[in-house]
Amino acid sequence: MKRQIPLAIVITLGFLFVIHTFVPHKISQDFYDWFQTWIKAISPFAVFLGVMSLFNVHRTKISRRVPNWQYSVITLIGLFFTAFAGFMWGTQEGTPYMWLFTNVQMPMSATMFSLLAFYIASAAYKAFRARSAEATVLLVAAIIVMLGQVSLGAAITKWIPETSRWILNVPNLAAKRAIMIGVGLGMTATSLKILLGIERTYLG
Amino acid sequence: MYETISNFVAAFLTLSIFSFLYKDNPFYKFAEHLLVGVSMGYAIPVLYENVFIPYVYIPIFLNHDFIIIIPSLLGVLYILRFSKNLSWLARYPITFTMGIVGMGVPLSLHTSVLVQMRSAMLPLDNINTILIFIGTVTILLYFYFSKAHRGIYGKVTNMGIWFMMIGFGASFGYTVMARISLLIGRIQFLLGDWLGLIK
Amino acid sequence: MNKLIQIFQKMQSVDRRYIFIVVALSIIIPLLIPFNSKTYVTEPTESIYRKIDSFANDKSKAVLLSFTHNASTMPELFPMEVAVLRHCFERNIKVFTICWLPDAAPLVDYAINTAKEDYNVQSGIDYCNFGYRPYSLRIPIMLGMGENIAESVETDSQGRKLDNLPIMDNIKNYDDMNLVIDFAGSSSAIQWVMYARAKFGANVAAGITAVMVADNYPYLQTGQLIGMFRGLKGAAEYEKLVDVFASYESPDYPNGRPFSKEIIKETWVPITDDKIPYKYKKARIGMNAQSVAHIMIIVFILLGNIGYFLTRQKKKKIV
Repeated sequence: MKRQIPLAIVITLGFLFVIHTFVPHKISQDFYDWFQTWIKAISPFAVFLGVMSLFNVHRTKISRRVPNWQYSVITLIGLFFTAFAGFMWGTQEGTPYMWLFTNVQMPMSATMFSLLAFYIASAAYKAFRARSAEATVLLVAAIIVMLGQVSLGAAITKWIPETSRWILNVPNLAAKRAIMIGVGLGMTATSLKILLGIERTYLG
Repeated sequence: MYETISNFVAAFLTLSIFSFLYKDNPFYKFAEHLLVGVSMGYAIPVLYENVFIPYVYIPIFLNHDFIIIIPSLLGVLYILRFSKNLSWLARYPITFTMGIVGMGVPLSLHTSVLVQMRSAMLPLDNINTILIFIGTVTILLYFYFSKAHRGIYGKVTNMGIWFMMIGFGASFGYTVMARISLLIGRIQFLLGDWLGLIK
Repeated sequence: MNKLIQIFQKMQSVDRRYIFIVVALSIIIPLLIPFNSKTYVTEPTESIYRKIDSFANDKSKAVLLSFTHNASTMPELFPMEVAVLRHCFERNIKVFTICWLPDAAPLVDYAINTAKEDYNVQSGIDYCNFGYRPYSLRIPIMLGMGENIAESVETDSQGRKLDNLPIMDNIKNYDDMNLVIDFAGSSSAIQWVMYARAKFGANVAAGITAVMVADNYPYLQTGQLIGMFRGLKGAAEYEKLVDVFASYESPDYPNGRPFSKEIIKETWVPITDDKIPYKYKKARIGMNAQSVAHIMIIVFILLGNIGYFLTRQKKKKIV
């Protein structure tokens, strides 16, 4: 029963949504309005999952004194102090909470991904080799697309941006479309499996 | 003065993360752990103000729409996910988010399969549309593994590989572009906002 | 020849930290010494401009900007957002914003504040920020807006009832809020295509990071996406379009001039010109550094491969 009732709810809701997609009747619209109100009231509590799981991971690290446990203290201080600042002094512009976002969270979050620029350059030098005909085609296409995006490419010859456009609009499009059709069919199959109660892993 | 200190903190944390390029070090570890904590801590008041207040507090306590207590209690069940004996109750709020996949079946089939198939086939009026058609079909055949890729069939699926390689090359070119753009953004911050060298 | 091979062999094993220094310099130098380069405007960006421009001074039409990203992709997406907001403010077009991640909420404010400094626009009248809504409510709200925006979104970021705001006059659903632009580092614009376009016929465009660009071409060809900003280049193109048309001023055109293919093809806006504020040419300045960095990466690939082939030939000879 612990699994059957939730499963029955998913299946019922799922089929009601299939009907809602095709039937623009008032009953179907009322069902959707009801669903909207309920899902909105359920949604704020999902944050507990993230907070609790982060807290548990770092609490365990601290209590077991694993190597570098001191950094977990920083994570927890960051977690509680930022939340506290938001509730204590508000979330408007000019509050300590927004200061933390603008000068701590935002710059670090942006920098984290920018590190990849260095690694991709290093990989370009050390790993991208034209070992086979296929790999050569890949590299040539990449170089043309890279040049086609910047003004220097057009300055060399107008054929670079033209060829880059053709690569993107023809062979690239065909490749991405085929993959997309495959993924689309896969997604539909997975959704159907959820709807029919075959796929149940989301229940934990 | 206030702005100078703020920019200094942001620049110090930015450089702490960049220090990883030299090697893993305490500055990087400090910044990384602080980022995780602050990000999660930041989300709690935002959710409280923008979601809890308008969708739970106001309907129940100000509008006296007491039926909302039921979905709110369902939401509270999320917390039981961490309980040993009662974790099964956390399945109930999840069921509501999963139910909407019912709508995804017809709509995703329409968006990513049917419309794409139609555009791949019609109109075949010039060399490019014909190439797109051939490319799409040969790649789809390549991913059909129930028949051995030998003989003429093997040659056809091999053509698909060439189309894919060009596609992956285009993706790679754009990936390089994206990563560089992100770095440009951070260097614009360091040189412009912090050091005032770009105006 | 042997000496050359030896040099390349040595270069192959160079510490990657030297490569990192080259990468940093290739970006720092062009940013410190800006130069004028040509920004070519492409079709996917142009279509978005033309669509938005067709709403100029029309109070029964509006644009929705959907922010589905956080600060990690800001360098690419932020200049696009500022440029689109600037276009809307210049051409008196109603613009709405919504975001789906908690840490996107201040980015929306930041984009609006950056763009509105130079315009006499008011929240609730000329623009409206719906604020943050959790991602789990994205599909319900997307679908709800197809019926009634005010009922589905309910309040703006300041907690005001949408029904009471003047901007909502004549704006009921996607028939009026006729263009949605989703800014993201993922394919999240496709959700708008799937739900808002397939079910309600909304026009959808995508502002995406370059990583996702190649994957979205099929949607562009089918017309499911009416246009696409392609990474920093897309932002640079839009900055130029706004400079050349929307913010153009002359006795003949006191409030901007209409789009023309000929004009955009022949006009080059010098970015070293101090008349254009830095915030409105940030993407174009960035594209200078992008040019140099791309050349550097290509040189890296070529050098790496020359070294690889020379070493391989030597090994073959030994065998």
